[in-house]
Amino acid sequence: MTLDPITTGVIGTLLVFFLLFLGMPIAFSLMLVGFAGIAYLSSLEAALPVAARTVYEVSAYYPYTVIPLFIVMGGFAGSSGMTHELYRAFDKWLRRLPGGLGIATIGACAGFAAVSGSSVATAATMGSIAAPEMKRFRYDPRLATGSIAAGGTLGFLIPPSIGFIVYGMLTEQSIGKLLIAGIIPGVILAAAYMGIIVLKVKVNPGLAPVSPEPVTWREKLVALTDIWEPLAIFLLVMGGIYMGFFTPTEAGAIGATTLFLVSLIKRKLNGRNLAQALQEAARISVMVLFLVAGANVFSYFLALSTIPMKVATWTAGLQVSPYLVHAFMILIYLFLGCFLDAISMMVLTMPVVFPVVVALGFDPIWFGVIVVLMMEAGLITPPLGLNIFTVAGVVKDVPVEDIFRGTLPFLLSILATVLLITIFPKLALLLPSMMLR
Amino acid sequence: MRWFEAIKKGIQRTDFYLCSVGMSLLIPMMLLTAADVIGRAAWAQPIPGAVEVSSYMLACFVLLGVAYTHQVKGHVRISMLVARLPQWAGLILDVITTLLSLFIISILAWQGWIVGIEQRTVSDMLRIPQLPFRLLVSVAGLFLSLELLIDLSASIGRLLRR
Repeated sequence: MTLDPITTGVIGTLLVFFLLFLGMPIAFSLMLVGFAGIAYLSSLEAALPVAARTVYEVSAYYPYTVIPLFIVMGGFAGSSGMTHELYRAFDKWLRRLPGGLGIATIGACAGFAAVSGSSVATAATMGSIAAPEMKRFRYDPRLATGSIAAGGTLGFLIPPSIGFIVYGMLTEQSIGKLLIAGIIPGVILAAAYMGIIVLKVKVNPGLAPVSPEPVTWREKLVALTDIWEPLAIFLLVMGGIYMGFFTPTEAGAIGATTLFLVSLIKRKLNGRNLAQALQEAARISVMVLFLVAGANVFSYFLALSTIPMKVATWTAGLQVSPYLVHAFMILIYLFLGCFLDAISMMVLTMPVVFPVVVALGFDPIWFGVIVVLMMEAGLITPPLGLNIFTVAGVVKDVPVEDIFRGTLPFLLSILATVLLITIFPKLALLLPSMMLR
Repeated sequence: MRWFEAIKKGIQRTDFYLCSVGMSLLIPMMLLTAADVIGRAAWAQPIPGAVEVSSYMLACFVLLGVAYTHQVKGHVRISMLVARLPQWAGLILDVITTLLSLFIISILAWQGWIVGIEQRTVSDMLRIPQLPFRLLVSVAGLFLSLELLIDLSASIGRLLRR
């Protein structure tokens, strides 16, 4: 008995999810099923070299240098002491607001996100700085840990962001435009997080009972000097991409080199944290690029099965509003986010979802922003929100359940931002449409 | 079993060194690209072949780190279900998924050699042959397979000791 291509494709897809749940590394299961599928639909001779070729093509593709460069840039920013400085500055300015220390945490997370591509690192560093401070002023532990975990997700949306890069890689969209598209939604989301904190504390002042001592204007102005460094680097890197001076890869190299020199000059870089930064860059890049290689092998098989094309034509032919399909996709991402990590989620869904998005006539850059927002949601949804566990690892005395409860209002503000950007796509598309190149 | 422990340590050590060599290439990669941009902007004088040298360095950076990334459990997997099963069932699943991984990664190592050794392509500007970098796919596959064999023996060992 021979199966037709579509049935083979469906079985293959189910098999990938089955292997995932058995605990097989995601990249390997994509490669294995992709290989088996190609062998079945084409021939064994055709299937054998596919993985080897793909792995080389992905790991020697120059534009992908951007991934280690953006990660190592965040590593250097961390070791140069920028996280402490940012928190200090935001704290001086915002601590007198209702829930001020939480607001300062979100501000500092957003600031650090603007020079770092990794969101887990943001949550971990902030956790060790902001949590003790909030505890000292008797902040509600749920509010405190929730704002750290949620603030950490901003690293995924505010460029430089690995999420946009992988989306660009999988869908062949301009990575530069995607990164620029993340700026306004990133600011909106940070503001929404801050709004949530103010609102919660206004409704229940017991959440942030003690107001920290006031800060003089002199101290506030001095604190501003702590912000200029990350601001200058963000403007250099993102401004350079925006003005068309350089590609994202070149921007990553310039940003990383600048931060490398800054931490050398400040004598903050020693052998240990240099090795740590490089190792983190290697580990995350290998993980991401192997996932992409696996996804490419699997996509090749899916293309043979004709599923992406058929699904796209089928959805486009449905007599329903494209926004209904859009809402349905958001629900799927919300569900997948509960047990998949952000990059895997993207890698697993894009081969089928992206052709549908194009067939429905949605803007690919706009959709990239939506997907990245949904991946952020996945970082804080139970039972497997990565940022929750990172914060729980740093703040030992708050149970994981409490952190999940604490992040719930922030999750709602992510969904509200998705809604807002769906209604006003210009929020995401305005800046990229004005780009010079 | 002392010899087994020694072999295991040796493999893990080698993977760590391979990764260290690869990751240290990130610094020249970063400086080269930055110098290329600055040279282009300031003196209209980009560095010849910067892009192709960077691509080769990226290949080393990634492929040499593959086995070590596995060693530190860096390749993402979902352990939610396995963690909830009784220990023996989890171990049996571990054995099955490791065998399946080993199957596809051995194919990668084998085909990496076959595809790589025939390669005659050289880079556009500096005429650097692709062959050694292509063969790194095979090296990555080989060391990753060894790491998987270590995992396999660990799971089987724990299963037998029960």
